[in-house]
Amino acid sequence: MKAKFVLWMTVVSLILMACAAPAQPASPAKPAAGEKVTLRLWSHNNPAFVQVNQVLVDAFMKENPDIEVKYEQFPYEQLIQTLQTSMPAKSEADVIEFFGTWTCGYARGGRLMEVPGDIMPLAQAQQLFFKAPLDGYNCDGKLYGFPNEFNLEYGAVLVNPEIFKKHNVPYPPQWKTFDDLIADAKKLTEADIAGTMTVAGYNYIGGDALGFAFLAGILQQGGNYFAADGKHFNFESPEAKKAAQLLVDMAQRDKVTDPILFPDEKAIESFFQGKTAILFRGPWAAASGLVDYPGFKFDYVNVPPYFGNKHIFAADSGWGKVVSINTKYPDAAWKLVQFFTTNQANAQTWNGATGTIPALKGIVDQPDEFLKKAPWVKPTFEILPGGTFIGNVGDRDQLWYQIMSKHLLDAIQGTTSLDDAIKAIHTEANAMVDAQK
Amino acid sequence: MLYMMVFSLFPMAWVVALSLFNYSPQRAGSGFLGLGGINPFIGLDNYINMFASNQPARVFRQSVLNTFLFTLLVLPLNLFITLPLAVLLESVHARIKGLFRAIYFLPVISSTVAVALIWGNLYNPKWGLINTAIKAIGLVPPKAWLSDPRAFVIGIPLAMIAVVIAYVWQDFGYNMVIFVAALQGIPQSIREAARVDGANAWQEFRHITLPLLRPTLLFVCVLTVISSFQTFVIFQQLTAGGPREQTTPLVMSIYLNAFRFQSMGWAAAISMVLFLIILLFTVIQFRFLRTDWEYS
Repeated sequence: MKAKFVLWMTVVSLILMACAAPAQPASPAKPAAGEKVTLRLWSHNNPAFVQVNQVLVDAFMKENPDIEVKYEQFPYEQLIQTLQTSMPAKSEADVIEFFGTWTCGYARGGRLMEVPGDIMPLAQAQQLFFKAPLDGYNCDGKLYGFPNEFNLEYGAVLVNPEIFKKHNVPYPPQWKTFDDLIADAKKLTEADIAGTMTVAGYNYIGGDALGFAFLAGILQQGGNYFAADGKHFNFESPEAKKAAQLLVDMAQRDKVTDPILFPDEKAIESFFQGKTAILFRGPWAAASGLVDYPGFKFDYVNVPPYFGNKHIFAADSGWGKVVSINTKYPDAAWKLVQFFTTNQANAQTWNGATGTIPALKGIVDQPDEFLKKAPWVKPTFEILPGGTFIGNVGDRDQLWYQIMSKHLLDAIQGTTSLDDAIKAIHTEANAMVDAQK
Repeated sequence: MLYMMVFSLFPMAWVVALSLFNYSPQRAGSGFLGLGGINPFIGLDNYINMFASNQPARVFRQSVLNTFLFTLLVLPLNLFITLPLAVLLESVHARIKGLFRAIYFLPVISSTVAVALIWGNLYNPKWGLINTAIKAIGLVPPKAWLSDPRAFVIGIPLAMIAVVIAYVWQDFGYNMVIFVAALQGIPQSIREAARVDGANAWQEFRHITLPLLRPTLLFVCVLTVISSFQTFVIFQQLTAGGPREQTTPLVMSIYLNAFRFQSMGWAAAISMVLFLIILLFTVIQFRFLRTDWEYS
């Protein structure tokens, strides 16, 4: 009897799931005169981000006494999980600190609110922000939020002056071409008696780093990683093969790193422990490393382009702010978003505290104040105009970590041939696009 | 009953339902709980796609193999260590028995993250204790225990062997305590009768202890197999599934697809496969190891 009841309840649950009414966004509410509006703001819990967000939230509430902001933070992985469970339940925060590259997936899924025209039209935003970070929030010509950060994984490297001096290699580096960098990296590499590498001259292995280096290599030769239809990928072009060959050669021929002993997950730690002379990472890695190794002596310097003499590269969008489709107070929510992102003084405070590259062109045009807080970021400023948004790549994490980096690393480690790796990237990336149709 | 409906039955039904949809929490959908519309019903496509040649299917199949391999290595190794150790422990003086039991049980109550950090350092190719010890006795250690995709021992990835060792080290105390309790439950009179009949220690173990431990052996096997199939944290902390997905188990595949790649429907289908595998193994073990007797 009990078993029958349970079975029936299961069947009824399933039927309810399939037949119930469609989901509807919440209707905007007008607060009564004198009533205080309460907004919730979510972000990940990087200490530097939390600290500056709280400072700006306090300043916002002081400026807007009729709005209270409850600020809640989550560890990065938990933020993603919480978004995925709260959005179907419509219990997410009104304003969310979002990674730009996630935005269009959620926006097209009906989870985010479009920026109202009276807040800021797209054309005006394009004047204010760099193209690469803004395009992460620009989905099919509609804007769904504003960026705080230009996320950069290409263009500069962390260098350890002590290792340069130890090997009598000119410092600061005098690289005119990428070959100059490799020549120095060879001199900086160290091994023990058994031939095991103890110091990597140039570590470029990384889940993000390999993908961005690969795409930059393609673009700098005048190639394109998108196929003619703009939706599928073309990773079998001569430019793609040449870019991948460069990545393989650095490890296998030039031996500037050992991809097994210097893996991605230990790369930053290894640099700040003095085991890597040159590390290819975004400027965020400096801020991250300084938390555990305060006072460590390093510099952040530009690298020459892989091919040609122009910095042309693909960039992710970066952290910014979006508004949930379910907010009851869109006016107050957009006010908070603008306070963080389009207000130049506040945006500069945010970038300075988090050590991130500004998404607002105005800050880069007058950088003195900002550079007092994050001086190592300066070399990246001159290459920012060369960045274009990575484009609609479907599932960014799957493409980067499960497809591009995985197969490139296989080739670099010598577990598969370069041709097979390129073929696998091309086939699997396009299968991903087809699966998402 | 209400508790079971809300927290057990409904989630189970929800997983079955999700596995029939191309559902992503990124998309609002058009029906109750977002099923339908841009989260469309796709029937058995998620299950059929497990045999496709694309990247998610390839990783899924690899993770099935990894999960079986891990379980096949863990179960015999665990029994091989715990059963003799329990017999040995049962034979020592009562005063030191408790001390050793506590020592062997300590890793079980330790945090898996802490255990993984300890073993991660032991395996470190540059300063790890294991490689240092191997070098000290004049042998050549592996280049890297956890990150070398080319390192195999009799066809088994070295990284998988490293994870198995760490896992068994943490887990064996649990089974050992169960065996000790079972050994204490075997009537002394049966052992004495065997000894009177001239049985030596091995014969006593082989013909008295082992047959009488059969129900406990079943219990331990079922629990070990289920926990091995569900292992996640130690993989995540030691290898994060690498190198080349050689240590990606099914549970990690479910986690990554559900929460990192937002393919909740696909992850639900993988969960169903894991459920069926565990069910099948449990039934098989019950069939082969069940007993139809009890102590009077």
